[in-house]
Amino acid sequence: MKMNWRKAVALFAMTPVWFAEPGRWAMAQDVSARFDHRGQCVGDRNGDGQVTIDELVAGVNNILDGCGYTPVEIRFAGHVGDEPFHCGATYPNVGRNLGEFTPSDFRFYISNIRLITPDDREIPVLLEQDGMWQLEDIALLDFENKTSPCVNGTVQTNDTVRGRVAPGTYNGIRFVLGVPFRRNHGDASVAPAPLSLTAMFWSWQAGYKFLRVDTALDGYRIHVGSTGCYYAQPGVVGGCARPNRADIVLRPFSPQDDVIVADLAALLADSDLGQNEEGTPPGCMSDPGDDDCDALFRNLGVDFASGQPVAALQRFFRVMQRQ
Amino acid sequence: MRVIGIEKRRPLYFLLVGLLVYPVQALYGTEAQMPYVLELPTGFPKPKVPPDNALSIEKIALGRFLFYDRRLSGNQSQACASCHQQALAFTDGRARAVGSTGEVHPRSAMSLTNVAYATALGWANPLLDSLERQVLVPLFNERPVELGLTGKEEEAFDRLRTDLRYQRMFAEAFPDQRDPFTLGNVVKAIASFERTLISGNTPYDRYVQGLDDHALSEEAFFGGRLFFSERLECFHCHGGFNFTASVTHEGNPFDETSFQNNGLYNIDGRGSYPPDNTGLFEITHIPSDMGRFKAPTLRNLSYTAPYMHDGSIATLEEVIDHYAAGGRTIHSGPYAGDGSKNPYKSNFVRGFVLTEEEKQQLLAFLRSLDDPEFVTNPRFSDPFEPWACVADCNYDRTVTVDELVRAVGLALGISPLAVCLPADPSGEGDSTIDELLQGVQALLAGCQGTPGMTRP
Ligand code: HEC
Ligand code: HEC
Repeated sequence: MKMNWRKAVALFAMTPVWFAEPGRWAMAQDVSARFDHRGQCVGDRNGDGQVTIDELVAGVNNILDGCGYTPVEIRFAGHVGDEPFHCGATYPNVGRNLGEFTPSDFRFYISNIRLITPDDREIPVLLEQDGMWQLEDIALLDFENKTSPCVNGTVQTNDTVRGRVAPGTYNGIRFVLGVPFRRNHGDASVAPAPLSLTAMFWSWQAGYKFLRVDTALDGYRIHVGSTGCYYAQPGVVGGCARPNRADIVLRPFSPQDDVIVADLAALLADSDLGQNEEGTPPGCMSDPGDDDCDALFRNLGVDFASGQPVAALQRFFRVMQRQ
Repeated sequence: MRVIGIEKRRPLYFLLVGLLVYPVQALYGTEAQMPYVLELPTGFPKPKVPPDNALSIEKIALGRFLFYDRRLSGNQSQACASCHQQALAFTDGRARAVGSTGEVHPRSAMSLTNVAYATALGWANPLLDSLERQVLVPLFNERPVELGLTGKEEEAFDRLRTDLRYQRMFAEAFPDQRDPFTLGNVVKAIASFERTLISGNTPYDRYVQGLDDHALSEEAFFGGRLFFSERLECFHCHGGFNFTASVTHEGNPFDETSFQNNGLYNIDGRGSYPPDNTGLFEITHIPSDMGRFKAPTLRNLSYTAPYMHDGSIATLEEVIDHYAAGGRTIHSGPYAGDGSKNPYKSNFVRGFVLTEEEKQQLLAFLRSLDDPEFVTNPRFSDPFEPWACVADCNYDRTVTVDELVRAVGLALGISPLAVCLPADPSGEGDSTIDELLQGVQALLAGCQGTPGMTRP
């Protein structure tokens, strides 16, 4: 073992462990802080029940340079077919009826973003906490810019997820389309951004719209979110009969070279925009009685009947090479 | 303080105002953020109040303004009060409410009578379990649009920010906040005002509380017997002090909510309700929840017609006919069907036979639950209509020295505007010398004209 000053620091830190029975010399600390969320001793990388010098050196190094994470940017693009999304633009040949489509809103939340290594390991992307688009592991993608007819929108747009990831080679990405359960049912009136956007509130369902697409003229709207939610105890949502969170896996995907296209034409490919299930609002508001949702949910990769994800079905997202 | 028309006033008034300043300092020097204790009718329990939104007179007063403020809708055409009008016990007289953009709501605006006790808000939504959560629905709902503020709340707050009165009221209701014009605060203030909408001053209440043995007519008395009988069963769903099973109160660990199908529809013979009004089913997706709605309070019914979730019954006589038949039969049209055979109907709605006399008795009982004071109480009225009796802080149509002292206190900035809204009829968030002098005049000479809610 070659000595360098970092190892010396680590060795110095370990001296009490050598000279004492276990426990006696340990610094005063809540014992729970010494185990990670899986119950493994903190610093014991290989799970052999002890912290070795090499492991400790790694820990010290991580203190010194912030774990050596590399910054990563995941780029998205809002599309209608091959055309970029623009508020109020009219796109021909959308839907099963090949009708005209004039969108007036396009936003969605994604969460739990992981990059996939060639040997199928999923490495979480730690999002920059920017106080605006990203909160914890949640990010809002927003392609509308409030120009008419996107009147409920915000001037600011966001097509990029920014974060850090362990260095490595990645050839895929996985994320959830939706706000995670633990954040979906809180008090929206005081929630931090991006959970503070009232256009994404879904108050009568005590949650958020995960995906919001509006159209200008005929009031055709898509609001996807969890439904059938119920309280387990006063004020605390215990679960939702239909979570309606899509599990998106895209492979091959390179964060450096590719863009993730969210394509409304692909989403609507099997829907007839001119038709509406009688007695339901135009479009799909995730109401289980609204058959207009069926085809749409399939293209999102969610089984409409159960609200559970079926990743293989999804066609809404696709990977495109960056120009 | 704005100083207007001083020269015209007699010096005596100045002396009086001057003398009042001293006791104000002594008495009300520490009045900021006063905890507020609801005045409850005898026999009423205390409502639950969320720990993070304790009642204060400042929040209540601010909430009252916001409740009546049209600037809080996307196109500035509607306020909460447009659909919840005091004279109609906070309903709108329509079968189905109409939102700010003209969109028709599938359901009828509900009375806000004693809404502080409700365990679930709305006709059939167990998820709306607090007034705070509920406020977001009319503000931001898009199905249908009510106030239509989605994505436009910052514009609305900017409108409020320019208002001098709001600058003072927001700061007093939410002290020590850099910018109190936030959604969270708007929600808290409106909910606080709603908690004060207590109604229990009815002939029925005066009778059962032993306050007045003659309050209830003989007819209403026998009607009450029918109401509480196993023959009519009304009380199972409309029981308790608020005549609804969905209530809770402080000290009660159980927040019971009851949703019942009372047999209004049976479209396909399999129990279906109209597709836009499926009741609890819309939230839970459980087939047997079809057509289950909250049994609303039966207080103030004389003001709240038409009845039921979709306003589909025009009069109380017809409501009684509906229950007597054990459900409603619709003979033609898209909603035709025999509601009495709805498989999900509660078995407390079985039908009964009433003589004409008994029917009149039941009606008289229901009307004994009307509270005329509630629908005229100036504390719940539109605060943008100035109270003509200046400095009449408690709206009793006389001005006392104590009230004048309060008015001076708010003019000096040592007590909040909320202690005496009538001291600021001009609405610039302060009591001017001129306004104080009008108060002095009212003290000395009595209130001129009829104080009321007339626009100047
Ligand atoms: C467009 C008319 C309209 C406006 C504006 C409106 N409401 Fe309502 N309100 C309704 C309707 C309709 C219902 C019943 C809703 C339902 O069951 O879906 C209701 C129900 C309620 C309830 C539930 C009452 C109960 O007993 O369960 C409360 C509380 C309420 N509204 C408060 C407000 C507040 C506060 C505002 C302003 C922020 C407001 N409303 C604005 C129409 C309106
Ligand atoms: C099984 C429970 C149940 C019983 C028993 C019952 N009701 Fe109701 N009542 C309800 C429900 C639920 C509603 C709302 C139904 C709807 O809108 O779909 C309602 C609505 C009403 C309304 C309309 C209130 C409004 O504001 O629109 C009146 C009036 C009424 N009931 C009176 C009575 C009377 C009188 C009796 C006894 C003859 C009675 N109810 C028995 C459950 C019940």
